[in-house]
Amino acid sequence: MTHYQLIARNKQKSFLIIAVFIAFIAAAAYIMAKGFGYGLDVVGIALIVSGAMSFVSYWFSDQIILGISGARPATRKEFFDFYTVTENLCIGQRMKVPKLYVIEDTAMNAFATGRDPDHAVVCATTGLLARLDRAELEGVVAHELSHVQNYDIRLMSIVTILVGLIALVADWMLRMTAWGGGKKSDRSEGGQLQVVFFVVGIVLALLSPIIAQLIQLAISRNREFLADATGVGMTKNPDGLASALAKISQDREPLEAANKATAHLYISNPLKNVRGSVGMFSSLFSTHPPVGERIKALRGI
Amino acid sequence: MGIGIILLIVAGVVVFYFVSVYNGLQTLQTQIAASIQEIGNQLKRQASLIPNLESSVRGYMSHEKGIFDMLTTARSSATKAANSGSVSDIDKAISDIQSAMPKISIAIEDNPEIKADSTVNNFMTELGDTADKLMYSRRSLIDLTQSYNQKLLMFPSSLIASMFGFKAEKGLATATTGAHVEVSDAETQDVKVNL
Repeated sequence: MTHYQLIARNKQKSFLIIAVFIAFIAAAAYIMAKGFGYGLDVVGIALIVSGAMSFVSYWFSDQIILGISGARPATRKEFFDFYTVTENLCIGQRMKVPKLYVIEDTAMNAFATGRDPDHAVVCATTGLLARLDRAELEGVVAHELSHVQNYDIRLMSIVTILVGLIALVADWMLRMTAWGGGKKSDRSEGGQLQVVFFVVGIVLALLSPIIAQLIQLAISRNREFLADATGVGMTKNPDGLASALAKISQDREPLEAANKATAHLYISNPLKNVRGSVGMFSSLFSTHPPVGERIKALRGI
Repeated sequence: MGIGIILLIVAGVVVFYFVSVYNGLQTLQTQIAASIQEIGNQLKRQASLIPNLESSVRGYMSHEKGIFDMLTTARSSATKAANSGSVSDIDKAISDIQSAMPKISIAIEDNPEIKADSTVNNFMTELGDTADKLMYSRRSLIDLTQSYNQKLLMFPSSLIASMFGFKAEKGLATATTGAHVEVSDAETQDVKVNL
């Protein structure tokens, strides 16, 4: 598959995800309307809402993701190496310099988002920036810039907002019914609403593995290998990225700002060593190839 | 369908191909020119950083006259290259600064007073970064020249290129013979380590 076919595929998949999302929401609304005896105008509202959400996810996914992750803009003065290394790689690639953000966290990780190379964002944790040297950082940034060039960012960001949202809503609804209070004796409207939440939560939770599968289908682990290889093409220095990945994999700390929806964006799985359902999710439906394999592939270049 | 229509379609496809190859070559030529300008741009940045570095280290190492001479040469050749934009001037400017940098680094390492000076450190990191930027803008020129020259040689785009008189671009002037492409005897020997 050539570079251009890959980009075309990514654009098609992005469109497909939006279509599937709208269809899914409409179908869910239809079933609920039938089940609870509401009128079919609920479906109309659901269609409008899901259409608006798709619009938002296309245009503002980067802002939303940065907001969820608690990122702030990186200045040249404060993060000299991060800033200049990105600038330099963009000179080499003749592409627009993406906006740069940092997350205040000692865990080592990085991701790219946005809708196209002209509206792209690269974000790294301060832990990553503090512990990698310039050559290693160059490897990581080059990896992220390949995601930008391949339009991986558009697909991954839309997946994050639309598909990830369903997974998150399922989590919240279940939590709200389990711990959200609401006394058993309370048989008023609040009680009925809770039943609705519970049912929706259960249904979505049952769908969760399918959602995970969807994310995986869309993302595919080859994407990471490909970005590694393209990134090395930019730096001509496979050792930089390989030793960065080695350092990142030795870092045992999970990234607090990451969740089910955003995990697949990162260069290495941010949910490692997280206990509970989220951790299980990440190991069962891994969107990242093992770092060892990636390093081996890089050493072979 | 008449044979005329088929011929017309074929002719249309051929014309479309000619136009796209021609435009592709023109685009690459302007990109190559732009990438040479980018190198000049970075050289200008370097030339303007050097006087600042000079004035901030002058107080510490007035005795190291050789270094100042090297910096002055590097600056003047960078300015010349940025103004003329010729590839050979650019090569000279880059090699001038590259030969000066290690000596400055050593002088700074040896002198704890300068090492502690944050202004000097700033200029050194800026100069180092400019060297990286120069490297990447040269790589851009190399890549562009490669894909342009490849089109000139590959069939059938070579037909169109010769028809419109496209000339091969030189890109970076790198000698194809010399020490940098040879492996000396000493380099082929196993490394002996005495512990």
